Amino acid sequence: MGIGHTQLSLTSPKFEWTVVLTGLFLAAVGLGLIYSATSPAGPAGRSFILRQLTWCSLGLLVMGAFLVVDYHVLERWAVWLYVAIVVSLMVVWAVGNVTAGSKRWIDLGLMRFQPSEFAKLAVVVVLAKYFQGNPGRIALGFLDLWRPLLLVAVPVGLVLIQPDLGTAVVIALVALGMILFVGVARKVWFFAFGAGLIGVPLLVLMGDRLLLGYQKERLATFLDPSFDPLGSGYHILQSQIAIGSGGVFGKGFLHGTQNQLMFLPVKHTDFIFSILAEEWGFVGCVAVLIVFCALFLRGLGIAAKARDGFGALLAFGCTSIIFWHVAINTAMVMGMVPVVGVPLSFLSYGGSSLVLSFLVLAVLANVSMRRFSY
Amino acid sequence: MTDVLRRESPVTSLRPKIRIAGFVVLLVMGLIVARLWQLQMIRGKSFDEMSWNNRVRFVRIAPSRGTIFDSAGRILAVNMPSFTCSLVPGELDQPYEVIRACGPALGLSPEQFRKLIEGSASVPKFMNFPIKKNLSLEEFSLVKTHLWGMKGVVLESKPCRHYPMRDTLCHVIGTLGEVSAKELARNEKLGYRAGDMLGKSGIEKEYEPYLRGEEGWEQIEIDAKGRQLTKLSSRSPVPGSDLILTVDASFQKFVEQLFIHRAGSIVAVDPDTGRVLALVSKPGFDLSLFSPSISSREWKELNSDPTHPLENRAIRGLYPPGSTFKIVTAAAALAEKVVTPHEKILCKGEMEHGGKTFRCWNEHGHGKVDLHRGIVESCDIYFYNLGLRLGADRIARYASYFGLGQTSGLGLPQELPGLIPTVAWKQRTYGSDIKDGETIAISIGQGYVVSTPIQLAMMTAAVANGGKLMKPALVKQIRSADGKVVYDHVPVVRGEIPLDAHALSMLDSAFRDVVVGAAGTGRKCRIPGINVHGKTGTSQVISGKVTHGIEELVPYHERTHALFVAYVNDRPKKIAVVVVVEHGGGGGATAAPIARQVIAHYYGVPDPGDPTE
Repeated sequence: MGIGHTQLSLTSPKFEWTVVLTGLFLAAVGLGLIYSATSPAGPAGRSFILRQLTWCSLGLLVMGAFLVVDYHVLERWAVWLYVAIVVSLMVVWAVGNVTAGSKRWIDLGLMRFQPSEFAKLAVVVVLAKYFQGNPGRIALGFLDLWRPLLLVAVPVGLVLIQPDLGTAVVIALVALGMILFVGVARKVWFFAFGAGLIGVPLLVLMGDRLLLGYQKERLATFLDPSFDPLGSGYHILQSQIAIGSGGVFGKGFLHGTQNQLMFLPVKHTDFIFSILAEEWGFVGCVAVLIVFCALFLRGLGIAAKARDGFGALLAFGCTSIIFWHVAINTAMVMGMVPVVGVPLSFLSYGGSSLVLSFLVLAVLANVSMRRFSY
Repeated sequence: MTDVLRRESPVTSLRPKIRIAGFVVLLVMGLIVARLWQLQMIRGKSFDEMSWNNRVRFVRIAPSRGTIFDSAGRILAVNMPSFTCSLVPGELDQPYEVIRACGPALGLSPEQFRKLIEGSASVPKFMNFPIKKNLSLEEFSLVKTHLWGMKGVVLESKPCRHYPMRDTLCHVIGTLGEVSAKELARNEKLGYRAGDMLGKSGIEKEYEPYLRGEEGWEQIEIDAKGRQLTKLSSRSPVPGSDLILTVDASFQKFVEQLFIHRAGSIVAVDPDTGRVLALVSKPGFDLSLFSPSISSREWKELNSDPTHPLENRAIRGLYPPGSTFKIVTAAAALAEKVVTPHEKILCKGEMEHGGKTFRCWNEHGHGKVDLHRGIVESCDIYFYNLGLRLGADRIARYASYFGLGQTSGLGLPQELPGLIPTVAWKQRTYGSDIKDGETIAISIGQGYVVSTPIQLAMMTAAVANGGKLMKPALVKQIRSADGKVVYDHVPVVRGEIPLDAHALSMLDSAFRDVVVGAAGTGRKCRIPGINVHGKTGTSQVISGKVTHGIEELVPYHERTHALFVAYVNDRPKKIAVVVVVEHGGGGGATAAPIARQVIAHYYGVPDPGDPTE
């Protein structure tokens, strides 16, 4: 039972069940958490669930549609995809809608489209195409690096001026991971290490000396508009209380006091993990983290078995997108890194992020399922 | 099939790196789980206690808004507390007790109260749901005593704008309103939250950053019952700055009550400094209607009123200046030397140009007219000829020297610039040249020319002060809450009119004779002992329609606007006044007597009344 030579039957041993089911499971958990997070807002909160469900179906549709075609279509369209994303980032910069002090959306009438989310995938695709001939076989020197770095710097810069520090950090980390994955020369390693060793303390020292208090505050507000100079530390403190008070088994669905008494800010988006921790406890969190971890390892496995360099790089990049979202978001919610505004893939409320996450899984599954076909 | 499955991927060289990546993934996830273990398993107990017993609440403290004073220190707008009674649905445990105890004090029947409690289910559980706003002090204390020992009902005291002079200077002061969703998106950085009040019009809007002050905050720990335990940290709010206006409210009030007509405007300024002495737009409205918020019925009524009481006509009313514009035409003709003061032009009551007939207001004709008589008797034919010699662009240039066709910079939101037509403008808008017939209309301030009363006041002031176009000012001083002067008004000269002293004094004497001359059109502005200068204006609303005969027979909206500009500049205390009466008939008959009463009151002399001849 197959559709053409690509064998797309659901019962076929080649169908990538792990990846698809993980996505569905995580999105379902996300819907439950968003329901809980928005329930104190009364009937007004219901609309969030409906909208997230709509996005969820759209994400599934996009995933299904992408599974039908061969992922090499991305190779052919890589450059155009990249150009389209850069152009739409510029459009956002010029005419985008302002929310919470930063421009991120293009209003498409029915729905609002956030190109910075898709910039992550575009950077992965364009780098995969750029390096497809030589992953693992060569060591990139300084001269080999300026072109790919420029390819990354343009979207990162455009995202930074929105300003959306979180997305910029994710794109940069994903791109960095891919370059290391391709392999860099030893001298580049040394140089980067040395520069970091000298540069970072110098930058911190200079920033501390030269900037006045209010300038630092302004810089922080510029980089992250959700940063509230009045309540700095408030988000993190409340979120830590929520997580910590969850204990082993949690307070139960809809019974988180921090959540229900509305002590948590932006809890249905960036701080959704604290709802999970408060209501489902350590057990619930670890269960979700294990599912994520299984997805990452499976993703790396797909990269290892990919049919060609392009597929391997694509699978590696897609895995890193989800990985960095999960790592940065949970670390930030637990106060391990500064709050930069990165959503938790599949769990956080937000349409563009959810659709992108499903698309990323579709790319992974696609690479996996077409490792045999020539 | 099986041999396909066993095939090695062509990227086997990536294997070691994949292993490293897998190790990094496990390490990072391990770190996250470790942190989770630390927070939930080790410190879980204490966090749990914190979440149940000690909750940190963040309370914002609104700053008190600055007060607006008149030049003599009288209060025009000030914040006073207003009391609101609200329900907190999440804390209401004995609803029937509450209904029994507070219902009578609030004047609510048990049935009404029950409906309100049901309605409060629509807000989040721990949010306040207002059930009665604007409680009087008696009601407030009554409810407070009955509330003893009850949960779920709270009394709040919120600041509310109070206007002791009600409608005096209403358009200048402006209104407050809740910040809109659109403004919230734009002002996010300034720290406004939903429900905050901000200036929506007038001074309140323009000087919002000064008046508002800075928000303060408190982080307090409260227990499960909502009792405050400790204050963790706080910052006190900084009250807004006070504004002192240039207007004397008692003078303003006097000028306002002089205006008995349906609609129009009076603006009085000090010609030397540009400070506004009175600014009237009629009809007005009662500011206290807007405080704390206007009902939708009242808003609809005000908004749909055909006389537009909410519009500030002094800065937004666009009127053809009519003959008051002859000030500009005369100045332009003298400066450009297209006429000598002594050249005489014959007025036969009408003139032919380009196959059309143009009439003077005096159908019998003025005979031979020089500049002085042209101004004093407002001969239209004389100015038609000057206009044709100058052309529209030269007139427009001089109009701009007098500040027409551009906003005056008074410092009120939404001021309109009016319009002075140029050839380029006509080309842009209609794609054709200005025809001679149109230039003729422009030369007497008709046709496309429109200007606002504040512009006419500044034009008059420029004649009075010897040729300086001043920037008008409404705010004399801004004082921060700790008494420091943040801003002190300094007169700003926007430009000089390129006219020599001789020409200026010639115009000055003509404007004097408009009032004192036997044939002057502004005779009704005479005040014994005061050298009032002036110029009348009667501008047509329907072009070409000359209304002779009985004013009452003409429909209101077709009646001419009555204008009068006047100034006194030979005393230490100077004044320039413009009076515009919408559809008021003749400038000399309707507007001049109002200007006379304004000036007489300003100098503290009795109003002589209309001269009897």
